[in-house]
Amino acid sequence: MDSDKKKTIDRRTFLKGATSAAIVGGAAVTAGCKGKNLMNSSETFALEFQEYFKKHYRLMTQAERDKTVLRLENMARLKQDLTVDIDTTGPAPDVLYGYAFNVTRCEGYMECVKACIKENNLDRKSDTQYIRIFEMEHGQMSPDQGDGKYFHMVPRDGHFYMGVQCFQCDNPPCVKACPTKATWREPDGIVVVDYDWCIGCRYCMAACPYWGRRFNWNTPEIPTEEITTKQHYLGNRQRVRGMMEKCTFCIQRSRKGKMTACVEACPTGARVFGNLLDPDSEIRFVLENKKVYRLKEDLGTEPKFWYFID
Amino acid sequence: MKNPILKNSLFYGIWFCFIPGLLLLCSALTVFSNEQDVAARVKKATQKLDTTQQVDAIIPLPKNIVRAHMEYQGGTFFTEARKSEITRFKCSSCHNNKKVSILNAADISHADIKINHGGKDTPLACNTCHSQDDRDFLVTSKTSKIDLDHAYDMCGQCHFRQKKDWIGGAHGKRVTYWAGERVVKNCTSCHNPHSPKFEKRWPKTYSVPLK
Repeated sequence: MDSDKKKTIDRRTFLKGATSAAIVGGAAVTAGCKGKNLMNSSETFALEFQEYFKKHYRLMTQAERDKTVLRLENMARLKQDLTVDIDTTGPAPDVLYGYAFNVTRCEGYMECVKACIKENNLDRKSDTQYIRIFEMEHGQMSPDQGDGKYFHMVPRDGHFYMGVQCFQCDNPPCVKACPTKATWREPDGIVVVDYDWCIGCRYCMAACPYWGRRFNWNTPEIPTEEITTKQHYLGNRQRVRGMMEKCTFCIQRSRKGKMTACVEACPTGARVFGNLLDPDSEIRFVLENKKVYRLKEDLGTEPKFWYFID
Repeated sequence: MKNPILKNSLFYGIWFCFIPGLLLLCSALTVFSNEQDVAARVKKATQKLDTTQQVDAIIPLPKNIVRAHMEYQGGTFFTEARKSEITRFKCSSCHNNKKVSILNAADISHADIKINHGGKDTPLACNTCHSQDDRDFLVTSKTSKIDLDHAYDMCGQCHFRQKKDWIGGAHGKRVTYWAGERVVKNCTSCHNPHSPKFEKRWPKTYSVPLK
């Protein structure tokens, strides 16, 4: 009789035990995740909180932009112990960026792809690349006939190479497709994304006839020592999961008068970059003196990226 | 009293005016719209720009550059110097009348240089480009001396089409900056003059398949 009494538990005791266990367990779970960070770094939390209420980049005044940039820089310092320099340089007057690609000169070394990954802080986990180089047989015209995943000694005999990236269309279909106006064409011709206003619907990805846009399926992972710290708000600053990104002609470099990373890395000089509105620029020389063509010109997207033949 | 014929004609009359009107308006909007295509905008931009003031940034001139002998469409320009890159320049420090012992000669001879220039039919010799009389210079077929910094003058004798493109900007490339003073790579910055063709090698990285 006594032993039976010891084994059975009455309802009240059971409930008491269960409730206290739930409280302790719940507290442990909360403390293990977000709660601990909340308690320990209220500064990070405050910055993150303010980030939620910032405006669309185009609606911000310069003072608000400076404040936002300062906040992002502080967040990088607190979270990753990283000193970044985020820039908000606007477009210069009388500048329209243009790009030309010499299909005769490109040898397929892919130095540009490597430089782009490094410069633009692209996700290493999912191997995001803005540039794709296609190995094409002589006579082929469109990159969808070419081989985009070659890996052998280059250049291969009887083949030529064609680089594809965002063509910064002057009449961009991706901008029209965006439901939140998170992407737009800057006055100097660069199509940019406000990463914080992108909702990740990927309509622009579907609208782009050139496969120029990339989606972050996972949180981008970059080794801290490899992060490029010279950044631009609309360019290579750190992105999060679930938003679009794209080539911006290295906005953080080009707006400072520098060549894009791909042009600087190209060992064969197949890439030409410059101001289309400057009659003395190299890009203008190419357009006026070489046989040039653009991809899918009939769509009326007006890409500012020309291919030319020596 | 309502006249059905009048009513009908009025109805059709409105439609006949409305539809062509709409079409006219549409075409007028297309013709007179502010949106220009890139080609038209580029064609219209003939005004010379001050390239040094185009961006709000300080653009430093690199070291070891020389002003090229000719002008491009925008005036004079710079190119990368060559002599500072040659470790054993000046050549005349060895190529003179001083005697060199045979043991030393093995180390400092140019046996490592393999000439692969000019093809099988017309291979180039050392003295096709290098002056035999004054070793610090290159020499043209018309026996005028060329400074090594201005190697483009030498290369351009045969590769005149490439030289024309290089002056204009379709061959070679600018160094670091698209704005500011024009500084371009020299021929010898990218090509090994003794073996100018780019060699076969492995690509730097690879792309993952799309599908």
